[in-house]
Amino acid sequence: MSAAVASRLTAVCRQFQRVLTVSSHTQTQYATRAFSTFHSCQQSRMYDSWCFRSPMNNRAVHTSCVRKGLEEFFDLPENWGEQTVKSGAPWTAKQLRVKSNEDLHKLWYVFLKEKNMLLTLEQEAKRQRLPMPSPERLKKVERSMKRLDTVVEEREDSLRLLQTGQERGRPGEWRRNVFGKTFWYRFREHPIPWYLNSRYKRRRFFEPSHVAPYTRLSLEKYLRSKIRKEKREKRNQKSLAAMFPKKTALASDH
Amino acid sequence: MRLTALLSMAAKAAFPHDYRYGTNRPWTIAAQRLNPPGKKRRKVFVEPIANEDWHVVRGDTVEILSGKDKGKQGKVAQVIRHRNWVILEGLNTHYRYIGRSGDYRGTYIASEAPLLLKDVTLVDPTDRKPTDIEWRYTEEGERVRVSVRTGRIIPKPVFQRKDGIIPQQWKDGPKDTSPEDTLQKTYTPSLKTLEEDVMEKMNIQEDRRPRKSYWY
Repeated sequence: MSAAVASRLTAVCRQFQRVLTVSSHTQTQYATRAFSTFHSCQQSRMYDSWCFRSPMNNRAVHTSCVRKGLEEFFDLPENWGEQTVKSGAPWTAKQLRVKSNEDLHKLWYVFLKEKNMLLTLEQEAKRQRLPMPSPERLKKVERSMKRLDTVVEEREDSLRLLQTGQERGRPGEWRRNVFGKTFWYRFREHPIPWYLNSRYKRRRFFEPSHVAPYTRLSLEKYLRSKIRKEKREKRNQKSLAAMFPKKTALASDH
Repeated sequence: MRLTALLSMAAKAAFPHDYRYGTNRPWTIAAQRLNPPGKKRRKVFVEPIANEDWHVVRGDTVEILSGKDKGKQGKVAQVIRHRNWVILEGLNTHYRYIGRSGDYRGTYIASEAPLLLKDVTLVDPTDRKPTDIEWRYTEEGERVRVSVRTGRIIPKPVFQRKDGIIPQQWKDGPKDTSPEDTLQKTYTPSLKTLEEDVMEKMNIQEDRRPRKSYWY
């Protein structure tokens, strides 16, 4: 039984070594390619220290770095070292509106991965004190993501309005704070009802009686400032009209 | 949501109401040197011209009516709406040294000065003479610039992108989506939220029910 276990173990180890040797061999190849590029990132430096010292010694136990999918943090290999990388126009909201929810979901993650790649590139360029190649790509991706978010919000809003008539996704109400100001209070999610929440009960959503006269005064102040602004605007328009009189068709340039 | 609103507010460029716009773009170092945050300069009065009444576009051919290069025609290189300015290529120039350092006096270059809108007029492309402009509607309902003197329509100049890309000659890269794929319609309106739709497509069964929570 122990012999069987031991033999199985050795078989596993041999397999393990073979896997390791294969991986270390490919690692050296990757490292040689990566080393000659403009950003020598942490990854390739790690490979350098691990593999370059003993490329022929495949028998020794290396712990291979997990490379699965990490290449997606970097651009396509043919763009490495370029000063400018060509990129197309960002997605517009009109183009995104004709896509199904599943497509939008997948597209979001495509954008996210591209954004992560560009941010890695930006950080590496800062570290190397070199200009980032084509920084407008980052702006394009961010704008596309914002537009996707807008489209999804539109769809959610329309569904909610249709089914419930609620204008806002998050519940709230108009409340008056201690200073007498009316504001839109946005509700928060709690595990316990309000009458058991001592901290919430300490919050005052009413104005005390000694504050009441000041509400009227602040309202008067606000109205006065609004009227002053409007009057100032009208005065400015009048003085501009006096400064730049409108020429009639007869008094044209030639 | 409030954090993103704050971030977007910070990202949007905010200028004081008495900011003096110059020929330099506001985000450049030269503009920041000329307009440091606490500086107050004499106010310039700009004639209020509505967006519908503005008739000069980048790339138009215009003639100068007053100034050093009176009577000359040139192409519009830049339009600065805040000051009603129009900068032409190679006209109304003054000369200055650029890039001086230490003893080297720098390169002697001609730099264009901006012209006010009222000092330029559009040129009728047929007879190449300056003319007054009106906005009128065609039979199809399109709003076009019409020269008052001849009655001919002045076409809008071909829009050239600053990065030099011509959309008709564009070749897609490996990461670009082709126009057919972009315009293909896959959306069918339904009474499902995005989350429900995606869960259905990915065969995700959500049997958990949310715990009762209180909103206040």
